[in-house]
Amino acid sequence: MGAILQAILTGLLTGGLYALIGMGLALVFGVMRVVNFAHGAFLMAGMYVAYFVATGLHVSPYAGFLLVMLVLFVLGLMTYALLIKHVMSASHSMQILLTAGVSYVLIGLAQLVFGADYRQLNLPIASQNDSIAGLTFNRAYVVSFLIAAGVSTTLYLVVARTEIGRAMRAVAQNRAVAGLMGIRVERVSAIAFAIGIACAGIGGALLLPVFYTYPTVGEPFQIRSFVIVVLGGMGSIEGAAVGGVLLGVAEGLTAYLWSDSYSQVVNFALFLLVLLVRPSGLFGRSAA
Amino acid sequence: MSPARVRGAAPSVALLAFALTVPLWQSDVFVLGLLFRVAIFAVVGIAWNLIGGYAGQLSLGHVTYFGLGGYGFTLCHRVLGIDMWLCLLLGGLIACLAALAIGSITFRLRGPYFVLSTIAAAEIVRIIALNAGFTRGAIGLLSPSLFANSAVDAKFYTSAVVLLALSVGFARWTHGSRFGYYLRAIRENEDTAMAVGIDPGRYKLLALLPSALLTAVAGGIYASFSQFVGPESILAIDLSVQAAVIAMLGGAATVWGPVVGSIVLTVSSEVFKAYFKEAHLLIYGSLLIMVVLFLPGGLVSLPARIGALVARGRHRA
Repeated sequence: MGAILQAILTGLLTGGLYALIGMGLALVFGVMRVVNFAHGAFLMAGMYVAYFVATGLHVSPYAGFLLVMLVLFVLGLMTYALLIKHVMSASHSMQILLTAGVSYVLIGLAQLVFGADYRQLNLPIASQNDSIAGLTFNRAYVVSFLIAAGVSTTLYLVVARTEIGRAMRAVAQNRAVAGLMGIRVERVSAIAFAIGIACAGIGGALLLPVFYTYPTVGEPFQIRSFVIVVLGGMGSIEGAAVGGVLLGVAEGLTAYLWSDSYSQVVNFALFLLVLLVRPSGLFGRSAA
Repeated sequence: MSPARVRGAAPSVALLAFALTVPLWQSDVFVLGLLFRVAIFAVVGIAWNLIGGYAGQLSLGHVTYFGLGGYGFTLCHRVLGIDMWLCLLLGGLIACLAALAIGSITFRLRGPYFVLSTIAAAEIVRIIALNAGFTRGAIGLLSPSLFANSAVDAKFYTSAVVLLALSVGFARWTHGSRFGYYLRAIRENEDTAMAVGIDPGRYKLLALLPSALLTAVAGGIYASFSQFVGPESILAIDLSVQAAVIAMLGGAATVWGPVVGSIVLTVSSEVFKAYFKEAHLLIYGSLLIMVVLFLPGGLVSLPARIGALVARGRHRA
């Protein structure tokens, strides 16, 4: 029983990070209807930025994530203005191929500049554990989880309560009509895209203390964020938050009950099942 | 066949006949190996084009059929010990069965949902191959060689060109047939296609079967050529993307587009890998971005676009 609870707890803690990463993808899909195949590559970029902030400026990722957020936000704005903007009216296939191209460019750049080596931060906190009621809490995971939860809540409040969030929801609902109502659709899209990218980057920065980075580190997270977004209903950021936590717990449980290697099969089976039975997601709404 | 159709087919036949003569005057193993890969990936591009180009369904899971062809070929030979060419066909048959299952699930979905579902299905197959006992997981399996003794590379090359000729023939037929028009109608507007009496689910599945078969046979020959099948070598998502890129780079929904795409992409990535090493992904990605932004009709649309530019220039002068 204790072991199952531990598996659920570990799943919950990673799920918090998945939630933040998935919310970023959901925001981009919701507002722009673009499936971003470069989401994982931007997460990787965030991890490298966090790594160099930590080793060069000696700022821990737990504070450095703010800098990472800023860098990735600007990178997102640039990507939107240079590339994404030009395919907004093109077919889904073209958009997907373009973002896949962006992903290859980022991974290629990382391989060229940093090489294929694994890089890791050896923070003392990663090996500190607390025991509460028979359950082990790894401090690095707990801190990453708390920050991710804070950022996710902030994002939710921005989308739900602020003027720019209202504009984003309007664009998500109907692009053409939003434009007629005086919303600057292009600018709102650019900001939504950049926020989505920044979420991936922060997710990367928070993963760094408990993981390691290499040029293709983003791929499994890319696929996970697809699963999360589908679970939560494509485009719904609240759905993505719940989807992320669910995915983390599902992974933790399968790893415990069956085997670590098959936890991915469960992911995809779940994913196909949701797509077929409830394409609008587990929670059935599709507003951003 | 009408005389006009025969004349229309003449350049294609001449080109493929010329391709068959290459081993007569070229015996360099590196060159033949490269041309072999060009032909194999042209077949994969043509096969993908049936679904992704003509029917407009962006499949990013075609590696499954390639991999099942390779694994099917290898496992049939190991387990049943029958004739290798029969194993190649059995691999194709296995891929067709998988296509029926995968297609009947994924074709219910549209747009980005369809794309994601093809990735999910392909990843399930990859992870099973990575963890199952009979595939020996990440270690993979040794594949038997279809040819023994002398001039192995020339024989592999020739068999790839024969498969390519069959694929081009099928693509030509599709391009001009009622079936091809149905697929294009589905691509343009699925609801309208349904309204005029085309059953999209049925025709998408009908297009996927030959597509999976050709891809799987190409995968089987490729596995035999590389003498190895492993989850990362012939089931990784990169190959799915490559199939799509080859077709779109050359020209989606055209007969020769995937062949042009394969020549350009396969040769250039070989050169990139040799000269730029780690940078090859960077160049690959940039190429992809440029095609989407500047040449959405693919390379085969280039002569027409240049022609239009020249005509406009003359008009102005």
